[in-house]
Amino acid sequence: MMLESLGNPLAGMAWPLALLLAWLAGEAISRWLSLPRVCGYALAGFVLASGQLGLLPQPAGTPVALLADFAIALVLFELGQRINLNWLRHNRWLAVTSLVEAFGTFIVVLLVARGFGLAPLPALLLAALAMSSSPVAALRVANELRCSGQVTERMLHLSAFNCVFAVLVFKAIAGYWVLTSAGGLLPALWSSLAVIGVSAGIGAMFGVAVPTLLRWQRRGGGDATVILAIATLLLVTLTHALQFSALLAALVFGLVVRYRRIVFSGADRGFGTLGSLLTILLFVYASATLSWSQVAQGAGLALAVLVVRTLCKVGACVAFAGLSGIGWRKGALTGLALTPMSVFAILLLEQTRHLGIDVFAQVAGLGLLVLALELLGPVATQRALILAGEAGREEGS
Amino acid sequence: MTLEAFKAGEALTMGVELELQLVDLTDFDLTAAAADMLFLLGKQPFPGDVKPEITESMIEISTDVHTDYGALLGQLGQMRNALVEAGDRLNVGICGGGTHPFQRWSEQRIFDKPRFQELSALYGYLAKQFTVFGQHVHIGCASADEGLYLLHALNRYLPHFIALSASSPFLQGVDTLFDSARLNSVFAFPLSGRAPFLLRWEDFAEGYFAKMESTGVVKSMKDFYWDIRPKPEYGTIELRVCDTPLSVERAAALAAYLQALCRMLREQGEPVSEDDYLVYNYNRFQACRFGLDATLVHPRRHETLALRDDVLATLNQLAPHAAVLGSTGALDVLRRVVATGNHAGDLRRWHGESGGLRGMVDAAVRTFRGDES
Repeated sequence: MMLESLGNPLAGMAWPLALLLAWLAGEAISRWLSLPRVCGYALAGFVLASGQLGLLPQPAGTPVALLADFAIALVLFELGQRINLNWLRHNRWLAVTSLVEAFGTFIVVLLVARGFGLAPLPALLLAALAMSSSPVAALRVANELRCSGQVTERMLHLSAFNCVFAVLVFKAIAGYWVLTSAGGLLPALWSSLAVIGVSAGIGAMFGVAVPTLLRWQRRGGGDATVILAIATLLLVTLTHALQFSALLAALVFGLVVRYRRIVFSGADRGFGTLGSLLTILLFVYASATLSWSQVAQGAGLALAVLVVRTLCKVGACVAFAGLSGIGWRKGALTGLALTPMSVFAILLLEQTRHLGIDVFAQVAGLGLLVLALELLGPVATQRALILAGEAGREEGS
Repeated sequence: MTLEAFKAGEALTMGVELELQLVDLTDFDLTAAAADMLFLLGKQPFPGDVKPEITESMIEISTDVHTDYGALLGQLGQMRNALVEAGDRLNVGICGGGTHPFQRWSEQRIFDKPRFQELSALYGYLAKQFTVFGQHVHIGCASADEGLYLLHALNRYLPHFIALSASSPFLQGVDTLFDSARLNSVFAFPLSGRAPFLLRWEDFAEGYFAKMESTGVVKSMKDFYWDIRPKPEYGTIELRVCDTPLSVERAAALAAYLQALCRMLREQGEPVSEDDYLVYNYNRFQACRFGLDATLVHPRRHETLALRDDVLATLNQLAPHAAVLGSTGALDVLRRVVATGNHAGDLRRWHGESGGLRGMVDAAVRTFRGDES
């Protein structure tokens, strides 16, 4: 990315400068307002974007997009490690909670969007996006506060599951869109079922191969973050080249690696320094894809979706709290902690670019919804975890 | 406030307290899950008692008062099952072991309860470093003086309990080469060690305790971290040197061993002397360091003897007492421990076999569930 702009030294410095400003914004917001750093990153990214101050060029489709995909893949990999599928077997009501909060959100958002006069296909895509709770904000905030407890655990599990559901539904609808508007049966199927199956397969393959490599390198333990990061990078570029889902592949990679007992703890969480740097980049990137013109319209729909989505997630978590073994208060806080959505949604949208679908143009209000949740989502997660008493230390300390 | 009266009751009753680890099933580190566990356990009757401990990654269970080994074992099994079921619903692992092998004490959260917050303020990092897990066994006494007699007569057998229960070889990520590293953490406290050599309750309560209380150093018996201490409100003496074993079966066997020993000591009634304590700290160290391979010095005969042989000889001596008490099965469990090694040895073996500390904790969690052993 730097090579292309060597002719203009200032333009070449745009990204490093943006990262620096975002870091400063993150530290400031953390120190003075006790808000999550990622909110500062997102705010800086939006302000500096091409549509606003113009320091950053529109990053979508550039090599920075690949770096952003790498960043989110690292997050999903780590999330995959923390998912214990056995838990669903022992606690069926948690599985029910997951299905109800995800598909309940899908249905209510779809109804609201149709109510606001959106055409069926854009409404379906919006509903699919609204299902997901961005694991980036969830994991980052949980790691930063050193959280542990039921709200933290459930938030991470529900977020992983609803992201998988969102990808499934989103890809299927996008495939259907391609089918009805231009292509044929084959591309539609290709973009949904095959993509999902093969992406998971590639992730699982990595999950088996990489631990073997690690074991060969030395017998267990020690610092495995470097090789895991390289493997994730490889996974992202491979799935990109083949146009599969890097997000799903990375999640499955982490899930499979877990069973070989290669997991992070303490300082390794969030891939250490590498993770911190890429998180800044990821949030700046995500909000730099938004422009004021997208954000300025559709406030009514955005607000309505925000409200019903939150109500649905909180409602589902409260409804099944007792049955799944926690109090209603912790249930409500779990639902609240699931508020973030934006970074994951933006990267998911990015992947439909090659299908020729511009969802932002079709859904007035999506821009504002995404920006609002990018700023408010992490705050909601942070407050929920602190109120639940699960924070090991306060933000900024 | 003077020390309360010793509520003497039926002799040779027993009760067990176990401090247990709450473990994250992803990275197998300790996890602050006590509040969530207690909430869930509180929703239905628990077959015993369960309460928080000083840090949020510990939980303590205690049995009712028992006279019969079988009943004690049964109750411990029921409590174990209830805990495992709750843990499954909350994605929390439960395990025994005197220490967590790689937890970092600085990351432990103090449980939100006034006494724990006070202790934390007083002891600072010691309180968090005290994230160690012990088994306490109470034995009922017919009188306060009998309690003090048993407390001192038991001193010669103390290393047996350390070696048989030892399950804390790893600390802060490394093999300490001790079988019980936990007791070293307990020793850091100013009021740890042994009780003063007093055989009459009034000397203890009105003399020693009253003087200590007037110094302001202690307020109650709880402030003493002795290896064995009297518990006047229960009318018991409480043995506190055992690491929490990896299974409740072994915990029950250790309690029955103490019960049988006390029965024998009561019947023999041999006089005790303060000189018995000359070799006390040395023997204690040997048992912590080498477990069943320790070499002890006999407090009276001043000859060296292998701890393993001493335990076997004691088990044989106790056979008739166990037969009366109905705890022969417990002695069989301990014979097998002497033959095949204690839990510290199992942990080291798992560490080698399964490749690392996490695999070891995973195996310990499965052992506690009763899947193995």
